[in-house]
Amino acid sequence: MTWRLALLLVLLVPAVPWSQAQIDRRAGAFRVQEEVLYLWSGTRVKRFFPGFEDVAADLYWLRTVQYFGGQRLFAANKRFELLRPLIEISTTLDPRLEMAYRYGAIFLSEPSPIGAGRPREGIEVLETGVRNLPGSWRLRQDLGFFNYLYLHDSERAAAILNEAAALPGAAFWLRTLAADLLAKGGDRAASRRMWQQMFDQAEAGIIKENARMRLQILDSLDRGDRLSRLAAEFQRQRGRLPARLDELRVAGLWNGPLVDAADVSFGYDPKTGRVFIDKASPMWRPE
Amino acid sequence: MSRLVAVAANTFRETVRERVLYNLVFFAILMTLSGLLLGQLSIRQDEKILKDIGLAAMDLFGTLIAIFIGTGLVSKEIERRSLYPLLAKPLTRGEFFLGKFAGLAFTLLVNVAVMTAGLALTLLATGRRPALALLGAVYPILLGLLLVVAFAMLFSTQTSAALAAVLTVGVVVAGRFADVVRNMREVAPDVPPWLAEGLYAVLPNFQNFDFKDKVAYGDPVPGGVLAWVTIYGVVWIAIVLCLGLVSFRSRDFQ
Repeated sequence: MTWRLALLLVLLVPAVPWSQAQIDRRAGAFRVQEEVLYLWSGTRVKRFFPGFEDVAADLYWLRTVQYFGGQRLFAANKRFELLRPLIEISTTLDPRLEMAYRYGAIFLSEPSPIGAGRPREGIEVLETGVRNLPGSWRLRQDLGFFNYLYLHDSERAAAILNEAAALPGAAFWLRTLAADLLAKGGDRAASRRMWQQMFDQAEAGIIKENARMRLQILDSLDRGDRLSRLAAEFQRQRGRLPARLDELRVAGLWNGPLVDAADVSFGYDPKTGRVFIDKASPMWRPE
Repeated sequence: MSRLVAVAANTFRETVRERVLYNLVFFAILMTLSGLLLGQLSIRQDEKILKDIGLAAMDLFGTLIAIFIGTGLVSKEIERRSLYPLLAKPLTRGEFFLGKFAGLAFTLLVNVAVMTAGLALTLLATGRRPALALLGAVYPILLGLLLVVAFAMLFSTQTSAALAAVLTVGVVVAGRFADVVRNMREVAPDVPPWLAEGLYAVLPNFQNFDFKDKVAYGDPVPGGVLAWVTIYGVVWIAIVLCLGLVSFRSRDFQ
């Protein structure tokens, strides 16, 4: 009898990983859990965890990071629909979870396929954060940055950066950045300073990588603009635009690479002489 | 006094024999896994989340022990009839009742102390400095747990362990919703004010023992507040233990 049971066990145990492998093969090893605890409102979720709201917020936040990472890396159709509700539940359960506002806003604001491509929602998340944590200059700084970087509203961005600068412990450069935004109406140099600040402030991880990529995009845009100016110079010297970008090299106007920061060749319009980041490059972003 | 201590020591030994402290193994696994994984998953929130998880586990495991062991302390002795030979000895019902309470209180103290040490070690292992401020949340948790034990024992003097557990859970849940009880007229305006106020006054407010959030974020827990929480907790525990004693003394075991 015992040996029969042992035999049965020997047969059954491998059946578990085997059946799991079959399920994974059919449904995909990574399956986005669309139901994610079928999202109640944050207030309602809060009522289910009396005394344990903070740990529930942590769990929801971990789930948010997992959901975002899962969608970004594995999902065929990146949708991010649950991102905002998950962030809201996390921050309703723990209104002081500053990282949830800051990272959540990035997740929401970055254009697809990097993020959800919904910068207005990202800004709304930061606005909620500013209301809940009125003493946090970093949240206001991010709100100012996002208004400029994603909505291109330099006036509002400058006003918010000035508010941030007035808070205790705020970085000294916030006021000068706000003044620059007001004076110049915003330019690439202001964007560079903002992304550089985000890069410097962030610890290793998604935000730092995102800021690094944004800085590389700005470098690529600068290089593209410089090449466009050289194409105009070529036209002034030769009376025609170059047919191909490498003609700039032959003419001795440029001896650097003709690729962007991702080593992808720049696009070039021989009719207008405009040099641009190719759509196939990871550096490309919608205008 | 020595008889009370003897009952308490015996109760502690009994809980150890019932493998109550095995929950520490779960706690150790939980903290180890959290320490290993949170750095990757939480994005700069690992210290705060470690504290949240550690303190919540203390509260949750402690509450479960307080309810399910607390309700069995008296009722099991009655059901197994092992109480009768004890009471035939020179041992008063009061000594028996308070000894049982003290024994489980000591078990919870050991449990919470080991968990606190475990949380501090996990923080150290992940490169954080565990601050003494952790005790600002741990101490009120312990006070709250003692109140839960007192309620569990009160109910178990008159009912079965199962029903006592249900009643205790009811009191704990209602006590954790104290703010809802106080503000219930905002969502149900027909509720008479005396009912809302009466319920709020009668129910123990378990939110008073919750400083987990403050400690996790590194906010100070003022000594004055802790002193008042201590007074509130001790008064409640004393009242419930007195009620339990009265109930236990008045019970006819024939």
